[in-house]
Amino acid sequence: MKKNLLTFLLMVMLAPACSDNTQVPVIRLALQTEPTTLDPALALDYSSGMITSMIHSNLLRFDEDGKIVPSLAKDWSITEDGLLYTFRLSRNRFSNGRLLNSRDIIFSFRRLLDPETASPRWWVLGALRGAEEYHRGGSFDKNSLYAPDDSTVVIRLEYPAAHFLSLLSMPSAGIVCEEEVISAGGDYGRRPCGSGPWKLSEWNEGEGLLLVQNTSSSDCNPEIEGISIRIIPESMTRIAEFETGNLDILEVPRAELDIWRSAGVTLLEKEELSVVYIGLNNDKYPFSDIRVRKALNMAIDVDMIIAKVLFGAGQRSCGPVPPGLSQGAKGEDLYRYDPEKARELLADAGLADGFTMEIWQRENPESGRILESVQGYLSKVGISVRIITREWGALKEAVDKGTPDAFYLDWFADYPDPENFLTPLFHSSNRGGGGNRSGYSSPGVDSLLEAAALSGDDRLRKEIYSEAERMIYEDAPWIFLWFPVRYEVVSYRLDGYRIPLIFNSRQFIDTRFR
Amino acid sequence: MAGYTLKRILLLFPTLFGVVTVTFFLMYVIPGDPALALAGERYDQQTLDNIRKELGLDQPVIVQYFKYLGRLARFDLGRSFTTGRAVSDSIRERFPKTVILALSAMLLAVTGGVLAGILGAWGRFPWLGRPLMGLSLVGVSIPVFWLGLILIYIFSIKLSLLPPSGYGGGSVRYLILPAVTLSFASMATIARVTRSGFLEAGNEDFVRTARAKGLGESAIVGKHLFRNALIPVVTIVGTDFGSYLSGAVLTESIFGWPGLGRYVVQAVLKRDFPVIQGSVLFMAVIFVLVNLVVDISYGFIDPRVRLKEKD
Repeated sequence: MKKNLLTFLLMVMLAPACSDNTQVPVIRLALQTEPTTLDPALALDYSSGMITSMIHSNLLRFDEDGKIVPSLAKDWSITEDGLLYTFRLSRNRFSNGRLLNSRDIIFSFRRLLDPETASPRWWVLGALRGAEEYHRGGSFDKNSLYAPDDSTVVIRLEYPAAHFLSLLSMPSAGIVCEEEVISAGGDYGRRPCGSGPWKLSEWNEGEGLLLVQNTSSSDCNPEIEGISIRIIPESMTRIAEFETGNLDILEVPRAELDIWRSAGVTLLEKEELSVVYIGLNNDKYPFSDIRVRKALNMAIDVDMIIAKVLFGAGQRSCGPVPPGLSQGAKGEDLYRYDPEKARELLADAGLADGFTMEIWQRENPESGRILESVQGYLSKVGISVRIITREWGALKEAVDKGTPDAFYLDWFADYPDPENFLTPLFHSSNRGGGGNRSGYSSPGVDSLLEAAALSGDDRLRKEIYSEAERMIYEDAPWIFLWFPVRYEVVSYRLDGYRIPLIFNSRQFIDTRFR
Repeated sequence: MAGYTLKRILLLFPTLFGVVTVTFFLMYVIPGDPALALAGERYDQQTLDNIRKELGLDQPVIVQYFKYLGRLARFDLGRSFTTGRAVSDSIRERFPKTVILALSAMLLAVTGGVLAGILGAWGRFPWLGRPLMGLSLVGVSIPVFWLGLILIYIFSIKLSLLPPSGYGGGSVRYLILPAVTLSFASMATIARVTRSGFLEAGNEDFVRTARAKGLGESAIVGKHLFRNALIPVVTIVGTDFGSYLSGAVLTESIFGWPGLGRYVVQAVLKRDFPVIQGSVLFMAVIFVLVNLVVDISYGFIDPRVRLKEKD
């Protein structure tokens, strides 16, 4: 008996550990952080936004290249003045089986703007007529959003917003099912019901989620039964899971790139829609002096840092808008590494003897190494840098108040449009928490950005943005660093998977198993 | 003994009230605004105001404090600021998983540690002493993080014996690596303490008496030495087990174990007051209860403790 038990125990322990569900047609992913909520109105972080948009669908969505394509709306029209949008809905069902109609759009949009929802992303629909007043506690303008019939929705804007269709494709503008929101009470974020290609089947806190096909959805992918998303905070563990065959897609940490490049697996590469920068406090001396800001840009060999610290996984930025959104010709490279010129500029500014500055960062080993390199380069032109490390909450509070001299941050796109980089980051009305954390202020840039938002002509609009970007780049409100590149390895089982341009269009609609 | 126990239990209440009050006000002293954490990267003042109002943060701190006490009196720990989920639901889901990990790690630590300690002290295997104590020195000083990754590398990647991470619905195979990792430091400390306890007790008069009256070696070890050497071990078990029960953040992170530790650390980073306050209170309750049990168990192991109480 004892012997049998021992044999049994040994068998259990030695059974192959890795064949758990390789045969099940489920895509297996891992995320570093758990989504906080799957409620479109409250989803804010990467994990929440990505999964929310797999479960909910919008009037429109981004395809993998970031192009706007129909989703719930089969077609739409916009009046000449750019103020009135009319959407015609196709036939769609929620995952609970109910037919989706135009009243659901109105319910979802009004809910996003409702001050009681306290959505951090209400601004997605902030261009609606009267939206700001409603969000401040005023009454809702019923003429700004109405449904002439079951399959038509009309939206009236306060002012023309050329990127409005992009905003409607964001996770925050996802359409929720009214009766499920009401019955879930405060728990809708854990019991979502949308009309997206997937529906939530299980959520084990701290462990992971299982999404299954939403057979009622018109975007349903019949070849894939589900998507399992495990929460694994530690990157080395995620790698081990991929190596043992328990994951289908793995984001490769930059330090591991060389190993995977030579590992003979499918390594996908995509420039992310994000920018990494050191924001300079433009209100504070000496950073209020444009010569000092230019000198700082020239004193750092960004290409070298990309090569040595990022293992090549980035592209030096000559302006704040990532190349994925670029409008053809990029502006010229104004700040090539030139410590000699930097010293001259500093001397012109009366700072030949250098000065001391603080650069703030959130605690993270990689940014620590990057800032140490920056510190080294700046010391060569006489600037002594003190690196201040804070955890995220404290860093954000200090930066939004304008305390630090400079800060190392990044900005991720919510929608693939240059507006999403230029307006929040550089329009003077967004100084501080609005996104313009360096406190940059230029009336010329402001009026260009406003003009672009009003322009209905796509080409003209992009030209205006290019011009604004060029002016910002010349003013050097930041130390421009790089646009990161994302790398993913994919298991041999998957076919047709591409890294999408924008994270919230990762819906696995066209992915197949081999 | 009963009176002592009752007194100890009554003393728990002021302790816990202190914990509640201190953690509550500590939240408002440390920098970092929860509304700011929820507002994202692009917000205006109105958004912050709406979030504060929704969370009740717009009221004076003292009002919030009494409301919080009122909720606690109804055993309501509130809802997480970030996820909107009831804190008690999360704790109820995560705590059993923390207990499984803590218990198995403690079991490993005690059996392995005591065994190694006795073997290291016992005169019958003199050649075992040094290597065992050397190993335990390594065990005490090895970082959990490194040990966990090395174990994953050996047992998951190289040998394909055990899954690298996850909870696996409670399957034992998923428990082994995290439990071994978590137990290692305690096991090593216990081994060292047991060994020195044994060696010390070996020189005591009562052991000499026992030998003189012709008691066999195994009876001496089992009856006299063991009990004496166990007192400091119980102390270590008590404190380590208490901290295991409040979550082992590093082990949980490496192995993706859905326990309490990660829950609390995430909450601290996001300034999720209800989660921090609720879990700190919960852990405090667990900790003082474990300590209580340890103190009472001294009485059973060492009669002198019992006698002192009677004085």
